[in-house]
Amino acid sequence: MSPALLSVEGLRVGFRSADGGIVEAVRGVDFSVAPGEAVGIVGESGSGKSLSMLAVMRLLGAPARVTGGRVVFDGEDLVAADEKRMRALRGRDIAMVFQDPQSSLNPALTIGRQITDVVRAHRDVSATEARRIAAESLERVGIRDAGKRLASYPHEFSGGMRQRALIAMAIACRPRLLIADEPTTALDVTVQAQIVDLIAELRRELGLAVVFISHNLQLVAEIVDRVVVMYGGKVVEDGPVEAIERGPRHPYTGLLKACVPSLSGPVGPLTAIEGAPPRLGRLPAGCPFSPRCPDAIETCAREMPALIAEAGHRTACWRPR
Amino acid sequence: MTGPILALRGVSKSFPQGGLLDRLLGRDSRLVALDDVSLDVMRGDVVGVVGESGSGKSTLASLAVGLARPTLGDVLLDGQSMAELMRDHAGLWRRRVQMVFQDSSSALNPRKSVDRCLGETLALRGVPRAGRESEIAELLTLVGLGPEIGPRLPHELSGGQRQRIGLARALAMKPEVLIADEPVSALDVSLQAQVINLLSRLTRELGLTLLFISHDLALVRTLCSRIVVMRKGAIVEQGACLDVLDRPQHPYTQTLIAAVPKGLAGRRKTWPAPSAVAPETREDIHGAA
Repeated sequence: MSPALLSVEGLRVGFRSADGGIVEAVRGVDFSVAPGEAVGIVGESGSGKSLSMLAVMRLLGAPARVTGGRVVFDGEDLVAADEKRMRALRGRDIAMVFQDPQSSLNPALTIGRQITDVVRAHRDVSATEARRIAAESLERVGIRDAGKRLASYPHEFSGGMRQRALIAMAIACRPRLLIADEPTTALDVTVQAQIVDLIAELRRELGLAVVFISHNLQLVAEIVDRVVVMYGGKVVEDGPVEAIERGPRHPYTGLLKACVPSLSGPVGPLTAIEGAPPRLGRLPAGCPFSPRCPDAIETCAREMPALIAEAGHRTACWRPR
Repeated sequence: MTGPILALRGVSKSFPQGGLLDRLLGRDSRLVALDDVSLDVMRGDVVGVVGESGSGKSTLASLAVGLARPTLGDVLLDGQSMAELMRDHAGLWRRRVQMVFQDSSSALNPRKSVDRCLGETLALRGVPRAGRESEIAELLTLVGLGPEIGPRLPHELSGGQRQRIGLARALAMKPEVLIADEPVSALDVSLQAQVINLLSRLTRELGLTLLFISHDLALVRTLCSRIVVMRKGAIVEQGACLDVLDRPQHPYTQTLIAAVPKGLAGRRKTWPAPSAVAPETREDIHGAA
């Protein structure tokens, strides 16, 4: 196996709470991404999926901060890197696309200016050359008449085109890793399908590694090689997409699949996961899913099961399926 | 044979577009949100209305509930015209048709406890003070919540609980028609199923007519008996839910169905040929590592 491009080791992210204590939202997360690999991180709100990736990019804002662990990118620990180094890496080696394309763009600057700014921050090129690169990037993400579109402002683009422009910005310097955080949640379903296809296509064409964060397992399963399932700030399952789809071992993954209806098969009441997602600071000592788990035994609430690997498929459960 | 409980007859709705300057200069333009839409909803029907943003599905919801008036055409409740009913008995329409909104946090007053919110709604229906407490408890049980929720403020509730309170508030009016505009799209998937199952049970038990506005075809398939597909302010296809979803006739319905994520089954087998111009590589740009 090739050495990992990104390796997240025992990552912890905490918030300082009102009483001066630390409330942890990411509680010891381990996973890695190989060069060129596409990994889906799946979980509901509060699972810690977005915070983990913001920590990788070192984009956590106060009061959140990394309270432990390492983020190793290409042999270098990013948690220890200084801000100057991170600025050099962001956009050039690791790029990120966010959920809301509207708020990720500066409404007062043209699309072209925003892409050329990124290009010139990382490459020693003339203004003319930067514009050529920007136009080429826009064209690569499927925007027609790219040369003319450089002069457009974000409000002149539709939601789908804005997300394409942000992806163009992300790939302009050919990063090795693209992190996409719910990039299609704000978009209509038909546009969502196009953006997902685009990311998969770029990955093949440019040899990018991709981390795709989503709450929708069915969506990521269409394009990733491996799925990491998070719950309550922990990785509960991590395996090849085929294994996760056909035979999930953690009860949460199984229920997550079952509670989303499909367009085929018999119609009946949906499988519901009882209870509510965990609240930070009120997590059980053991498995965070144990209060809602139909398979839970006494041990589950008391002790956190280790993430045990078996043929490249890791599960943290006392009673795996 | 009784007529439809809710009917739209040739309804169009348009909104003025552009700023004051445009209007002063006579550059009048209007955004047509609904264009000549007719629809019959029979008593007890559970109708899913699907479409993308701009399809007019939310405009249809606000017309049905009486929050907007049609520019052309008429909306009928049990055979009575909205134009007439709203003039003489606006309260009656609003009592019989209730709505559940997408964003439960902005649909509830942040300063009012659950008890107060439901109590005020019951007062509107004319329930005497003495009877309110027991009816609040009944409503909470109906939506699967306990009485301990009563004194809480909206921010002390989870998203799923807030959406149940939104539902309880609508049911407090004992409506005949319930309009739910994307009621679960802001919820986590594990909670969506709970709320959908609840809606399904309530429509059956209370004999409600439900208009379920959603962009999620799979949820509509689970919950609804009929489906209406909208695009750009018009209905492009409607019929029995399973018929339409299994054998869609309109190309737009087919496109919507094709866009639903399908997991492993949705993985692309073929990819477009690489473009003629090979992309610059990382090494071209930054030099060899």
